[in-house]
Amino acid sequence: MVTGDPTAPLLEMQGIVKHFPGAKALDGVDLDVVPGEVHCLLGQNGAGKSTLIKVLAGAHQPTAGTIRLDGEQIRIPHPVAALEHGIATMYQELDVVDGLTVAENIYLGHELASAGFTQRRQAAARTRRLMERLGHPEIGPHQEVGALSAAGKQVVSMARALSRDARVIVMDEPSAVLDSGEVDNLFRVVEELTAQGIAIIYISHRLEEIRRIGDRITVLKDGMTVGRNLPVASTSTDELIKLMTGKDVEYAFPERPGVPQDAPVRLEVDGLGLGDTFRDVSLTVRAGEIVGLAGLVGSGRSEILETVYGARRATAGTVTLDGRTLRRGSVAAAVSAGIGLAPEERKSQGLVLDEPVYRNVTLASFARMARAGWLDERAERKASQEQAAALDLRPRDVERSIRTLSGGNQQKAMLARWLVHGCDVLLLDEPTRGVDVGARSEIYALVRRLADAGTAVLVVSSEIPEVLGLADQVLVVSDGRVVHSAPAQEIDEHQVLDLVMEGTSA
Amino acid sequence: MTEPTAVPPADMETKKEGRTRLPSLLSGPAGRNVGLVLALALICVVGVITGGERFASIDNLMVVLRLASVIGVLAIGMTFVITSGGIDLSVGSVMGLTTVWATTWATQAMADDLHWVVMVFTAMAVGTVAGLVNGAIIAYGRVVPFITTLAMLASARGLAEMISNRQTQRVQSDAFIEFFRLEPLGVPILVWIFAAVSVAGWFLLNRTTFGRRTVAIGGNAEASRLAGIKVQRHTLYIYGLAGLTAGIAGAMMLGRTTAGTSTHGMLWELEAIAAVVVGGTLLIGGRGTIVGTVVGVLIFTVLTNVFTINNMSTSAQLVAKGAIIVAAVLLQQRFANRSKST
Amino acid sequence: MSARKNLRRMLGIPAALAASALLVAGCVSNEPPEEENDSVSQDDGSGGTANDEPGETVTIGFSAPAADHGWMGAITQAALDTAEQYEDVELRQAEATNDVNMQISHIEQFINDGVDAIVLLPFDGDALTEVALDAMEAGIPVINVDRELSSPFASRATILGDNYGMGVSAGTYICEQLGDQPDAVVAEIQGIANLPLTQDRSQGFADALSDCGLEVSTQVAADFTIQGGETATSNLLQAEPEIDAIWNHDDDQGVGVLAAIENAGRDEFFMVGGAGSLDVMEHIQAGDSVLQATVVYPSTQAADGIKLARLVAQDKSMSDLVSAGVPRTIQLHAPVVTADNVDQYMDLGFRS
Repeated sequence: MVTGDPTAPLLEMQGIVKHFPGAKALDGVDLDVVPGEVHCLLGQNGAGKSTLIKVLAGAHQPTAGTIRLDGEQIRIPHPVAALEHGIATMYQELDVVDGLTVAENIYLGHELASAGFTQRRQAAARTRRLMERLGHPEIGPHQEVGALSAAGKQVVSMARALSRDARVIVMDEPSAVLDSGEVDNLFRVVEELTAQGIAIIYISHRLEEIRRIGDRITVLKDGMTVGRNLPVASTSTDELIKLMTGKDVEYAFPERPGVPQDAPVRLEVDGLGLGDTFRDVSLTVRAGEIVGLAGLVGSGRSEILETVYGARRATAGTVTLDGRTLRRGSVAAAVSAGIGLAPEERKSQGLVLDEPVYRNVTLASFARMARAGWLDERAERKASQEQAAALDLRPRDVERSIRTLSGGNQQKAMLARWLVHGCDVLLLDEPTRGVDVGARSEIYALVRRLADAGTAVLVVSSEIPEVLGLADQVLVVSDGRVVHSAPAQEIDEHQVLDLVMEGTSA
Repeated sequence: MTEPTAVPPADMETKKEGRTRLPSLLSGPAGRNVGLVLALALICVVGVITGGERFASIDNLMVVLRLASVIGVLAIGMTFVITSGGIDLSVGSVMGLTTVWATTWATQAMADDLHWVVMVFTAMAVGTVAGLVNGAIIAYGRVVPFITTLAMLASARGLAEMISNRQTQRVQSDAFIEFFRLEPLGVPILVWIFAAVSVAGWFLLNRTTFGRRTVAIGGNAEASRLAGIKVQRHTLYIYGLAGLTAGIAGAMMLGRTTAGTSTHGMLWELEAIAAVVVGGTLLIGGRGTIVGTVVGVLIFTVLTNVFTINNMSTSAQLVAKGAIIVAAVLLQQRFANRSKST
Repeated sequence: MSARKNLRRMLGIPAALAASALLVAGCVSNEPPEEENDSVSQDDGSGGTANDEPGETVTIGFSAPAADHGWMGAITQAALDTAEQYEDVELRQAEATNDVNMQISHIEQFINDGVDAIVLLPFDGDALTEVALDAMEAGIPVINVDRELSSPFASRATILGDNYGMGVSAGTYICEQLGDQPDAVVAEIQGIANLPLTQDRSQGFADALSDCGLEVSTQVAADFTIQGGETATSNLLQAEPEIDAIWNHDDDQGVGVLAAIENAGRDEFFMVGGAGSLDVMEHIQAGDSVLQATVVYPSTQAADGIKLARLVAQDKSMSDLVSAGVPRTIQLHAPVVTADNVDQYMDLGFRS
């Protein structure tokens, strides 16, 4: 499968194997990267991408295999060694320290110092140069990183890599935390870096991104390289999906059966407002209907969802469920009335990671299943197992820690929680964040099935095609207001983007 | 509600499962407790070798258990607090306060009129109220537990000194003293109480919604809140529970010493925390074990016993205690890392 | 610092008891830790009597509060040194602790071990009474030191310092120095004001002063800590521009008291200390400070307790008494140490 390379490879990984106690995460991975290219690493969750980049970053030691840099075999016994070799990694969860300034973050661990005193002025000057090079001169060296946006933090992380004179930069789903404008800027930076001969290993689920900036693709599946150095331009999407999943997959949204006109209104939001964040939001969701909120990061769409749920206390307006008005600012009231939320940050807001799957599934309902305060664990397991089967949770074992599940399966467990609890209204915030391509269609199908069973669904996503493909009705949110509402069939991505931009500039 | 879709065979997963089961069993709660019991057994072996009959006797066992029982009850309450991700530095001084309040002239006069149990209930009520005050400040005032309970540590001690005028207050009721001297089936009543509180604590933590909420809040408070659990109210209850155990321990301390004073329970919060953490409850919350706490308490008391029997110095004992705490936490971290990397 | 602050209760001093106690105190009270001493032992009888001949070996359990105060450290050390002198004494020292739960457990341990006698300086006399009763019931004699247990059945013998006597000694010395100045200003620096032992000391002091027509002008409390001594004294000196004499109850807190006096640059008065630390005795000897005298509160009580426990366990009597058996109560003398006799007492001074 190897195609001839015009240039000698900068980085070569051959036959990398990594065993963990009881599991083989990598089982023979080959990867080679030439200077100045954007090398995309593709694979489903659990294919071994994270383990591979941790090997490269010195966080894991490979059980077998060789790594060559400029043709010379190297060892990367610890993260500092990786940096010394010029290999820098930008993790998905950006490893910047919120409480420190930009300059302090960039020089963290290799402070510019003379005789034990940090050279603040010099560090600041170099930081300014790095920021200019990255096209973000507005980020000053003395700003506190915690106050920056996700995109800003990413730039800091990149600047740190450059400050180490990195020749290979690994980017783990860098676009996941960015909205479209920021993604454009990211790509501009990436192009600039590659023009200077730096190689980028780019990990993403978004094929359209890979098409835009990628040069070659390596595909991993089950810890093995199944596709090597595929040219982006000449490899079809179908072929890539086939390699990743081992089967032909239609990346498709479920059909819309159409909501009957007489379907009862389940959720009614009237004039809802939350301080300066958003105001005067009104919407209705009927039984069996999926309503989507589209908008940029910071437009207030997630906050709307959380306020409907009572996780934030509304300053104006009402939320009515089946005719009953909910108490403001009370999650417990919303849950007992029959509203469920699958939050955006699944790990920090949704799951108790060290607890077994079944306890996560019954987190909202164990008290109801209990008898006079005594837990009924048998009923909990049974209900969880039923949902695990119904949602095709993999692995099916509900006793294992939920931490060990992939993003898609964790999301299924979140849905199972509300299925066990039995909710009439389901609020989904970024339902496919961190979910790989194969599992996405499954999640979409599940959501549609829930709606068909009579649930009213309100979904928020920063991926406009997702909203358009999944929802029956689309509301466009911009700058804390709903600026447009239309049936999904009557609006396209371009229109939504226009509305979003318009609303922002207004 | 939903019809199951066609389920593809999941043979690959089951294979994986079989492979991970074994290590997960060893690093699971049972494995950790086995390790603790082994540590306890090791100390006992040292005790038998060095102390012989003086160590390995029923009477000595009772000495150890009596010593363990009061602090053990405090540690049970502390287990809940730490499992929920909090900390309670005030249990020792709250216990001191309960001993003082239960032996004031007024309380004793009432006990004299009614029944000595009045003193026990007074201790429990005072402890619970102090705990609820902690809980209210933490849950609704949003002050971090460390600061809140540190403040309670100081003020409960001060209040106890004010009430008692720094005097020791004798228990006047002979019936009270007699009750705490009972030894049903040859086992002192204090040990029975400790056992009862431990068993109740185990059921509460592992078999009730209260326990599940405690673990869930400790594991991820935000996720628990978003799942509809009333986190603030539950936090209030948890600190109330810790206060209640401080009250029970206070009554036990009165039985043991026949005197209430503001100096009771000095530094016991640290001993209780040490026993809980050595027992395997995670200091960051989300995992708690009552069995571990009981064994943790026993490890420290048996250690004291072995040192005393061997006439060894206090200082060496403190060093040994410190070493045990560090070793236990290091082991915990190793287990924690292993269970996360799989 | 906890030595005397803690909740010890003395219910006054029955006169007859005190008289007899002072009598017997002569034999044992000033027995120094080392055999070779030139100290003030009013008689040398106890040094070389037949009682010191080795007898049957006895095991003595010793339990005392943590040595977090110079005087308490000295009392424990003296007990250990005394036990060391006797080849027929096997001493079991329990972990020193301010935790009554722990101290009770140590006594229970001693009972289980079947020791021959227990020397107990309780952290809290009331709280240790029950377990001391248990020991007595089990046939193990308890020698109670310094802080009195609350039941007479809880100990075989009790050795006490004389707090009232300390006040009397200090007051009498000040009277001798100032007797001709009826308007003299006398200040008193207490330990912890509401402790019975403090009240006893102050009462004795007031009684003795009134004999020569003086009275205490100012009273402050220093909590038995160096820090407390410094703070209380600074305030006192600020409040009283002209002082003739000060009695400081406690030499451990006296370090802070002296520091405050130095800082204020005052020297128009003289000071009498309390307890008898080596530091204070050196000052008295050198005459380089306002310290002219101190009143001894013997740090040898527990050492005496070991000796008594040995006698009790070996069924012996006290050599200079005619009566059979060891006395029930011994109250130790509180002598005044001045430049004239300080050499005799140096060996009794303890490091604070």
